[in-house]
Amino acid sequence: MDFSVINDNIEFLMLGLMRSFQLAFFTIILSLIIACFIAIGRVSSRRSIRYPSAIFVNLLRSNPLILIVFWFFFLVPLITGKTLPEFHTVLIAFVVFFAAYFAEIVRSGIQSVGSSQVKAALSTGLTYSQSMRLIVLPQALRNMLPALVTECVIVFQGTTIAYVIGMREFLHSTSLVAERTVRPVELYLFAAFVYLVICFAGTRLALFLEKK
Amino acid sequence: MTLPLVQINNLSLRYGDFVALDDVSIDFMPGTCVVICGPSGSGKSSLLRCVNRLENFDKGDVIFDGQSLKAAQNISKIRSNIGMVFQHFELYPHLSVMNNITLAPRYVNGVNRDEAEAKAHKLLERVGILDQAKKYPNELSGGQQQRAAIARALALEPKLMLFDEPTSALDPEMISEVLQVMRDLARNGMTMLVVTHEMGFARDVADEVVFMDKGKVIERNESGGFFDNPQSDRAKEFIDRVLQKI
Ligand SMILES: Nc1ncnc2c1ncn2[C@@H]1O[C@H](COP(=O)(O)OP(=O)(O)O)[C@@H](O)[C@H]1O
Ligand SMILES: [Mg+2]
Repeated sequence: MDFSVINDNIEFLMLGLMRSFQLAFFTIILSLIIACFIAIGRVSSRRSIRYPSAIFVNLLRSNPLILIVFWFFFLVPLITGKTLPEFHTVLIAFVVFFAAYFAEIVRSGIQSVGSSQVKAALSTGLTYSQSMRLIVLPQALRNMLPALVTECVIVFQGTTIAYVIGMREFLHSTSLVAERTVRPVELYLFAAFVYLVICFAGTRLALFLEKK
Repeated sequence: MTLPLVQINNLSLRYGDFVALDDVSIDFMPGTCVVICGPSGSGKSSLLRCVNRLENFDKGDVIFDGQSLKAAQNISKIRSNIGMVFQHFELYPHLSVMNNITLAPRYVNGVNRDEAEAKAHKLLERVGILDQAKKYPNELSGGQQQRAAIARALALEPKLMLFDEPTSALDPEMISEVLQVMRDLARNGMTMLVVTHEMGFARDVADEVVFMDKGKVIERNESGGFFDNPQSDRAKEFIDRVLQKI
């Protein structure tokens, strides 16, 4: 085995890794924001809010991510007659998909806080949305941090799905180098190592947060 | 003629099919301290929660300070005039004692932080835990937590204070420090509705006692009369039972 191919192509590979990080980063930020609203909808006392939120979550969680990506890649341009850059297409699909998963995490976080805290907050004259923002969500966030970190690792691994529509994320870049240099063993070992390190770091962080 | 601060008119509340409050009508005058007692499940907590509309009642109405709660559009504003103290304190665990107290003044009344903290300072002094201001609720004893919760409820200068079994979750040695704070409040003329099994407090501090059973108000009397000369059999039985326990 000759690992110098890695070194020779490191710039190209790191570009792919950066792309994966970018996709994961924006997916996590955007889907988490949307997830907060959906989660609050899921615990709403109003059916007209609760049911659509539940449908959204269950619909998306019952489909594989790759299908959601196909939807946005093939069907949305057909319907709207417009094509977006592939990064944006994948990002939208990822945000929609992972918002459903994050929403479930946020929902269980909210439910871990208990309705008596809301009653206490309301009794002091805070509005419902102030009570959510100032009292429930900060506590929920703390309770759900380990689950959130774990989900972030899953998002990062999920970025490989972008490969199927030709986006140059890390795995795609690796495979391009592997084909060109005919050194697939070294390159895929390297890729496995990189995913392992990131996954391991995330898992340790989740464990650490759980203990705290 | 003074008007009642709280008027409860034909109030009914159900949880599903279960009738928790059954056509309750009663009113409370400003400046009085009223103890509400009765067996567990008789609807005492439900009644308190109707007084600031934490429960949406089915029938009847509560008039607080001349305003109908049923019709109220600005219920948050009304609630800010009614302090509430809970059995399990319900302090916000992620905020320091100081921030627990200043939160509502800042976000509800738009008071700036310095002013809110100066006010909180005075309140903490009044309930005797000024030295705990920077701590988090889980670093305090139960009695200290409940006193902090009282300070939080007082921070908006409410016209009415609701207490739902404020000492039931406390270790015996901490009960008196909380009752002392409540006694001072009553002496200073605060209007208070207190659900409690502390019969000593009811006799010595309360002006009146209301006895509830099965979602109804059975009896109402000035506190001396209630203990010495209960009118209903159910109240007699209840008094015998709680006094025996002590
Ligand atoms: N949120 C609720 N949902 C259903 N039933 C409730 C709820 N809150 C109280 N109850 C029931 O209503 C009755 C009165 O409760 P409560 O007002 O808490 O009584 P008390 O404070 O006198 O013990 C009880 O039987 C209780 O089980
Ligand atoms: Mg109760």
